[in-house]
Amino acid sequence: MEAGLEPSCREVLEAVRYGKIQSATEAALSVLKAALRCVQRASSAGEARAVLRDFFSEALEARPANALLMNVIRGAILAVRDRLAEGDLEGVRDAFERYYRDTVRSIEEVNEAIARMAVNRIEDGDCVMTYSYSTIVLRALKLAKDEGREVEVYVPESRPGLEGLHTAKELGNYGIPVTLFVDSAIRYLMKEVDKVMIGAEAIAANGAVVSKVGTSLVALAASEARVNVFVLAPTMKFSPETIYGELVELLEKRPESLVSEDKLREVGLRLGEGFGVKVPMFDVTPPEYIDAIITEKGLIAPQAVTFMLREIYGWPFRFAPIRELLG
Amino acid sequence: MRVPEEVLKIADDIRSMKIRGASRIAQAAARGLKLAAQLYSGGDREDYVRYLRGVKEVLRSTRPTAVSLPNALSYVMSRVMRAYDSGADLRELIDVTVASADEFIEYSRTATKRIGEIGAKRVVDGDVILTHCNSSAALSIIIRAHEEGKDIEVFATETRPRYQGYITVKTLRDRGVPVTLIPDSAVRLVVKKVDRVFVGADAVAANGAVVNKIGTSLIALAAKEARVNFFVAAETYKFSPTTVVGELIEIEERSPLEVVPEEFLRSCRNVRVRNPAFDVTPPEYIDAIITERGVIPPQAAILVLKEEYGWALKDYMLKATAEIEEAL
Repeated sequence: MEAGLEPSCREVLEAVRYGKIQSATEAALSVLKAALRCVQRASSAGEARAVLRDFFSEALEARPANALLMNVIRGAILAVRDRLAEGDLEGVRDAFERYYRDTVRSIEEVNEAIARMAVNRIEDGDCVMTYSYSTIVLRALKLAKDEGREVEVYVPESRPGLEGLHTAKELGNYGIPVTLFVDSAIRYLMKEVDKVMIGAEAIAANGAVVSKVGTSLVALAASEARVNVFVLAPTMKFSPETIYGELVELLEKRPESLVSEDKLREVGLRLGEGFGVKVPMFDVTPPEYIDAIITEKGLIAPQAVTFMLREIYGWPFRFAPIRELLG
Repeated sequence: MRVPEEVLKIADDIRSMKIRGASRIAQAAARGLKLAAQLYSGGDREDYVRYLRGVKEVLRSTRPTAVSLPNALSYVMSRVMRAYDSGADLRELIDVTVASADEFIEYSRTATKRIGEIGAKRVVDGDVILTHCNSSAALSIIIRAHEEGKDIEVFATETRPRYQGYITVKTLRDRGVPVTLIPDSAVRLVVKKVDRVFVGADAVAANGAVVNKIGTSLIALAAKEARVNFFVAAETYKFSPTTVVGELIEIEERSPLEVVPEEFLRSCRNVRVRNPAFDVTPPEYIDAIITERGVIPPQAAILVLKEEYGWALKDYMLKATAEIEEAL
């Protein structure tokens, strides 16, 4: 099953699986792009179908919590399904290319719309705490700066993975004053913060938000300090699967992604010798800690996610279950 | 006479965190005074007291937050001063210094052990325990419970920025306690599977608020949310008498380079790093403080302070009143 996959596809899978690409949007788009390359290289419709099935299945296993990835894959399969059935390779390529272009453009437009709405919630002089690395949150903060709003950003380093460092560097170099600190200092510094803005890996039917591990701690500390929490996420990150009660699967990373051999050696430890290492990638923030989810269709209460899902998927819900699509 | 090299070395080790942990710092401070007494080469009791006060100041100024440090120094100094006031000669003063320092160190060791015995009673067979940083008092409880044959499992946080959690993992592993390391950010996720949290303290304030390693208050908050019991293990010399007269406990902020490498800072503009070493856990998140004298609710901290520092409190009160009068 693995034999058919290009090395570049393997690399993409590796990067999204172990969080080298942490951003849910970047993960989904890089998978889609790699899939496009596979389709372009395929020598028959049959091969295209096999490669897509294998690659998409593995991508879903690599990031099972990523609702955007799931929805993008669902869309891609629906876009090429008929051409595949007809064995029309050219048709498959055209349809996939069109789907890829449309999706990239639509994500771009949607993120821009969300960022614009989020900026309305940023007041002059605000101190905004974010967590990990969210493309939409970064976009909103840069936009706020472009519009002349004075904004300051607080970001924890976000272990494991340290995406907070990327966020700090990118925003700092953009001219926004940033304060970086260890994750443990979230509650200590929350008192200085006016708003929290975070991204999402997926949003479940009850409005619970799956995001980088530590996000729920930020939301909890914010709720305690009565700081408003906003989640910036397109409706493509809503997970229709959860309506039928499916749990979002939370992956763990390899121990090596957390601990360095050098640090262990300093205290006389070696991996695998008598102690465990647990490295969760995501956690779940309950809806009661979230003041609003900002989507491209507007700002909603997390409890209204079902309502939005109904708008998208109809009532009763109609969507093609991803596992069936993959065959 | 100048402060001896050997004592300066101890001060340096405390400052650079080679010696860390509130109990170990306190013991090192007492050892510093003892060493200073033994190395004193002058011949005059007035000079000795001046010299010892200088040594005390050097040791005290190493780190601002852990109250065990000034308390250990006061423990020795108050006894020296009492002897001085009652006319003791130089030889006697040196003896009192050495004896008091030894007494404090011995007391500290016994206290940590006693906390282990008392705290272990709160551990139930099959418990999953979460601990933060590397606290000898908290570890004393966990190890004691394990030695009593209780089947326990421990989650230890990494404890950024300096990874003291690794030492905790090593200590527990070497004792045969099943232990799992987690990143600090996973605390809320993990606390759901936990039965009890045990942490140490750098200082306990008069209202029962606990100053401890940064991240402790976040864990306490997550534990409270998950209805998991949160215990603080603290010897009575970690209670801060000056807070009774309203003094704040200073939270030390350390170098950014403990958090990020210099190259990172050079590669970006407009980024500042804050590195608070401690935070304050409010008493309402703490189920109990386990001291060597027994288990108390955090709100009863004043009880310990009155019992242990009654004499000192009177001094602080007088001093505070005098300052107010002077200001008026």
